[in-house]
Amino acid sequence: MTMRVTHRVATTGVVGGAIVLLALLALPVGALVLRGGLDGLRELGGDRELQQSLALTAIAATTATLVAVALGTPLAYLLARDRMPAGALVGALVELPLLIPHPVAGIALLLAFGRASPAGEALARIGLGVVGSPLGIGLAMLFVAAPLYVSAARESIARVDERYEAVARTLGDTRWRAVRRVTLPLAGRGLSSAAVVMWARAVSEFGAIVILTYNPKVASVLSYDRFTATGLDASLPVAAVLVLLALVPLLVLRSLRTNQARAERAW
Amino acid sequence: MVIVQGLSSRAGTFLLHDVSFQLASGAWGIVLGQTGSGKTTLLETIAGVRRAIAGQIILRDEDVTSHPIEQRRVSIVYQHSYLFPHLTVDENVGYGTMDTRFASDLASRFGVDGLRGRPVASLSGGERQLVALVRALARHPDILLLDEPFAALDPRRRIQVRRQLRLLQRESGMTVLHVTHDFAEAGTLGDLAIVLEAGRVIQIGTPTEVFRRPASGSVAEFLGAENVFSGTIQRTATPTSGETDVLHFTGEGIALVGVGEHAGGAGHAVIRGSDVVLAHARSARTSARNVLDGVVEEVLFDGMIARVAIRVGSTMLVAVVTRSAVDDLGFAPGLAVVASIKAIAVHLC
Repeated sequence: MTMRVTHRVATTGVVGGAIVLLALLALPVGALVLRGGLDGLRELGGDRELQQSLALTAIAATTATLVAVALGTPLAYLLARDRMPAGALVGALVELPLLIPHPVAGIALLLAFGRASPAGEALARIGLGVVGSPLGIGLAMLFVAAPLYVSAARESIARVDERYEAVARTLGDTRWRAVRRVTLPLAGRGLSSAAVVMWARAVSEFGAIVILTYNPKVASVLSYDRFTATGLDASLPVAAVLVLLALVPLLVLRSLRTNQARAERAW
Repeated sequence: MVIVQGLSSRAGTFLLHDVSFQLASGAWGIVLGQTGSGKTTLLETIAGVRRAIAGQIILRDEDVTSHPIEQRRVSIVYQHSYLFPHLTVDENVGYGTMDTRFASDLASRFGVDGLRGRPVASLSGGERQLVALVRALARHPDILLLDEPFAALDPRRRIQVRRQLRLLQRESGMTVLHVTHDFAEAGTLGDLAIVLEAGRVIQIGTPTEVFRRPASGSVAEFLGAENVFSGTIQRTATPTSGETDVLHFTGEGIALVGVGEHAGGAGHAVIRGSDVVLAHARSARTSARNVLDGVVEEVLFDGMIARVAIRVGSTMLVAVVTRSAVDDLGFAPGLAVVASIKAIAVHLC
């Protein structure tokens, strides 16, 4: 076989493989949007339950993301800078929820924060019931999606050379002031894109939420509910709207990543 | 005053081991060594960027070994300037100081006042280094650590900046510890030279001492001595403690009379190319103790300087002369010449 033929076979293999995978990814989404997209957008104006469900999903995902940013950024910093005792173990623990099937995550949350648990009982006593409440939704979202934030934030912080912080400290900053003034702004785009990824993952969560809080319904649960109660056609508009809304964080993410790559090249 | 005693530190798998030296207040120390010898690790350990695993760091009569970076009150300038890319030049310069007038004066002295307001991304490598230097100086540091801070400057600018910095250092009495690969810089600026090899100090002295009398063959080679020979050193008289003696060297097919403090045995003979005098014939009477017959093998020009390689027996000797000397005396491959070297120009170590 000549070199040219080998090259052609290899090129065909690479391009063919890419096309097959793209088709596998695009076909179901395309079919869903084509069949239910327009109806979904039309229904969005008049379907009160769908509106409430989308609002609840957005609020819960945003709250979970804000909590993850507030609590996860310090953790990501400590892990990125190897300042956490037993850092490897803590890192593995943080990423564990990514590997647990989501209904199992729901069961674990139910055990830890359900009415029968000490934590759940204590929360219920101050009026913060976890099961069947928006708090449960936020908690489930936080549990399954925060590891994505911490993981990406850790990488983003690790990419900022520690010497920037050291130089800031020779210029009079304390460690945490240097982190605030230098490290976080330099990791800023990476942290934002980590938050967007987490938000998108939280919005799409179903397994853990359905076990902890079936009602009130977030969009994913509503879509499943309509599918089981009234069939495919009724669930299509909700599902299609969810897919279309997922495009928003995706576009934000692309833009953030492009800007970050450009900024890092200039350092 | 900077006192480092038995300092050890780790950078990945690299170990800086048992480093000791003293740098007086207002002095300029030069740290020399090949890439990977531990120069940056030493500076970073003094600054507190790296943790000392043994030893002591005393700055201004205070033991700061366990102090955090910000409490050591030293400024550091890296070769990669580490300007904060999310801030403008102005914001970088003013980052650690409230004294905006002084910062502005420094910016003007080092020629970066025209860069104010510009984003860091738009600066060249040399401009970044200058801004980083001004940023560090703007804090009125009394101890300044420099890690090849002029590497990206063009030669003319480098000389100007060096001169400005030396002036500023004399005005302020600042103590400087400066890593450089530039021997001219070391010779011009340094009061003390510290030579590192594989994480250990192998020589400390004034730059002149270190250049004229390198402690070992590897130091000599690193410092750019053209002729370093390995062989045996023999004493002809009883050693005079702590003083330089006349010694005899044989090795690599060459026999030399030289000076040094060597006890005898295996060693090196180091001769700077500029100390080798070439002539067409032997002079009847000469003070040079080493007169060697040879044949020119190669003449290499570097601007107005020429390196003339001469075969002496089985070994090569390099003489550094001017281009005009080559032209006047007609040095060319195949020409028989006589190389004369004074004994005091043959350093035995």
